Amino acid sequence: MSTCIITLCYRKIIDANAAKQWDKLVFESSYLEFKMQAQNYSLGTSFTTYADLVKNVPNAHRLAGMITLSITGYVQQLAGIVPDMLNNVGKRFLKFNKFQLEVINSDINDKTKHQVAINFYTEQLIWHHTIENFLLLSNYNPAETENEEALTNLFQVQPYVNIYSLKKLQ
Amino acid sequence: MERKNFLKSLMIGAVSTSVLVDACKKDSTTTTTSSTSTTTSGSSSSSGTCSVIETETEGPFPTKAPASYVRSDITGDRTGYKLTVKITINNSNNSCNALSGALVDIWHCDSAGNYSEYGGSGMQATNYTTVHFLRGRQTTDSNGLVTFTSIFPGWYSGRATHIHVHVYNSSGTSLKVTQIAFPEGSGTALAAVAGYTKGMTGYTYNASDNVFSDGYTLELATVTGNTTDGFVLSISMSVPA
Repeated sequence: MSTCIITLCYRKIIDANAAKQWDKLVFESSYLEFKMQAQNYSLGTSFTTYADLVKNVPNAHRLAGMITLSITGYVQQLAGIVPDMLNNVGKRFLKFNKFQLEVINSDINDKTKHQVAINFYTEQLIWHHTIENFLLLSNYNPAETENEEALTNLFQVQPYVNIYSLKKLQ
Repeated sequence: MERKNFLKSLMIGAVSTSVLVDACKKDSTTTTTSSTSTTTSGSSSSSGTCSVIETETEGPFPTKAPASYVRSDITGDRTGYKLTVKITINNSNNSCNALSGALVDIWHCDSAGNYSEYGGSGMQATNYTTVHFLRGRQTTDSNGLVTFTSIFPGWYSGRATHIHVHVYNSSGTSLKVTQIAFPEGSGTALAAVAGYTKGMTGYTYNASDNVFSDGYTLELATVTGNTTDGFVLSISMSVPA
């Protein structure tokens, strides 16, 4: 296989079962914002769920963008490192430069229905080899020459991780 | 405590990481330390699945971060005549006494008549501070007052100059959605600003505005000041809380 430049996307699901502190804070903050902003669209209707609002109320699809601003402070606290995803020595190493909040389900009257996903899009990585179940990755730096030594990470693709884009390295 | 956390992590892993089964198989050194002590059947921790636990120094510790809307100065990267917005909220269900702890969202258009867009698609992790210009949230103090620093709004076709207001109780339940109207005529701030570079040709006055034309005495603010020192808008509104 020829060497490729890839980006990964990790879709981190956060719902009422969130256990980690960061996840809990994102859950609380995004739910309060959903509840507040959704009432701009539910006014005069009987709809309370995200699905109903998006289906029936014009522009309700903007809710995800509106809720994003309730979690940007938490995303900043990650300092550009994708959470949860570890290399084979147990360290977080994937850098992201883009994220997108998705509302999966929610209900103005029922917090337990609230479920969001944050998609983290990584910076470009070079996929050098595949060793057993692991991808051997290094950060892509166009300025580096071919002969330079690259620091690498062994990473096993996990559930909710996708290879988002791929380009052959010339 | 440590063991409890470890088991918890295994359970989380068991739910979502089926592909890791193979990883454990090939790696004979990966064992669950608890397996010898939990030989009873039915334990989810003995299913054989595992995922590598973080072996880093704990942290950075997440701290509570307010929504980006929470700010007093909502100007962002917009330019225009400075406008201080003072909104006092009282409770019509409590003898019109001041309502403290209420969340007040305001938003309005810039000098050219445009609203900020919400980032619907993927957002750059750095550089999202300017996307929500002229939108903000404050919590009322013991006098029911919130104060914002902004710019005097422009106008757009079909509407009189206005500021949107949404008042919520402290748990985020909507109490009132309304709009603030501006005084018109000679000597007013509206006349002094004169629609910025757009001018006032084609402007929709309150009497013809489809929101305000049914009466706007309660929505009409007091606006003082001038284009040099800036303007101060004050309004008091009653909401049922």
